[in-house]
Amino acid sequence: MISELLINAFLVTIMLSIAIALIKTRTVIFTVILTSAYSLVAALMFITLDAVDVAFTEASVGAGISTILFLAAMAYLPKKEEKSISSEFVPALSCIILGGILIWCSYDLPEIGQLTAPIHQHIAPEYIKGSKEDIGIPNIVTSVLASYRGYDTFGETIVVFTAGVAVLALLQKKDPAKKNKSKPKQKIRKNA
Amino acid sequence: MHNNPILRISTKILFAPIILFGLYVQFHGDFGPGGGFQAGVIVASAFILYSLVFGIEAGKKLFPSNINLILLALGGIIYGGVGIVSMLLGDEFLAYNILGSSPQSGQHIGILLVEFGVGLTVSNVMIALFNAFASYDKIKEK
Repeated sequence: MISELLINAFLVTIMLSIAIALIKTRTVIFTVILTSAYSLVAALMFITLDAVDVAFTEASVGAGISTILFLAAMAYLPKKEEKSISSEFVPALSCIILGGILIWCSYDLPEIGQLTAPIHQHIAPEYIKGSKEDIGIPNIVTSVLASYRGYDTFGETIVVFTAGVAVLALLQKKDPAKKNKSKPKQKIRKNA
Repeated sequence: MHNNPILRISTKILFAPIILFGLYVQFHGDFGPGGGFQAGVIVASAFILYSLVFGIEAGKKLFPSNINLILLALGGIIYGGVGIVSMLLGDEFLAYNILGSSPQSGQHIGILLVEFGVGLTVSNVMIALFNAFASYDKIKEK
């Protein structure tokens, strides 16, 4: 128990310091890198909660690919964030109040891993049993994701697809893009 | 970055293992952590690394944009197609039991295909997004 507490305290401290550094920094590239670091610590947090699949996703998507995409998109941003003119008192106060309410509510949550918690009583036992008997797959997360909740995952895939197509449509709006694309290819061929 | 030998050589060495790891995560998702979403991102990262080091044009030569866009849509079509096949065979949409000789093997086939569709869409969306951002920059400069 004590080792678990120590690990959690360590991770929370790192997360908090990254969050504070994120607020302080005004350079866009540091913001991107710190967000990536935050995602990595969050992935470690998920590992301590035994959610390996979520940790894997957080590490690869949150810390990996989204950082690269942010960096690619960063080229269109000004290098430095402008300082806000309005006072920081009201936002800080609302954050503290909201955080206080969330912490207060968290006391009503059941203990992590408690067997009598409502989430373990509802449909989870059926999934755990069925994953072994009906589907025959050791990883319950995969069987829930792809089979029991196949509709949701289909929706997720379509969301990813739609988002990608929407960004492509937005960025390829300029007509010269097509002309520029065909020209460099010819140049390469000539050089070769 | 084009002239840095360390980056060039390490990219060439790393490229194949990254894709191999992506395929492992993709097809081992039934037994260990992983699945289509993670594998798609890992495979995409290999191509993005190549584009970062050797330039966007070389990356497009390696993985042409038109194939990228076709595969981007194909992933969703595979996923939906599994559902439609299961409907044509006489069960409900995305009910995998009917796909195999036994319900369990049907589930295995269904999950494998569906995860493959997810991986295909995710990886190609990521590559397409990166290419779009990177080429847009060039247009702006000109």
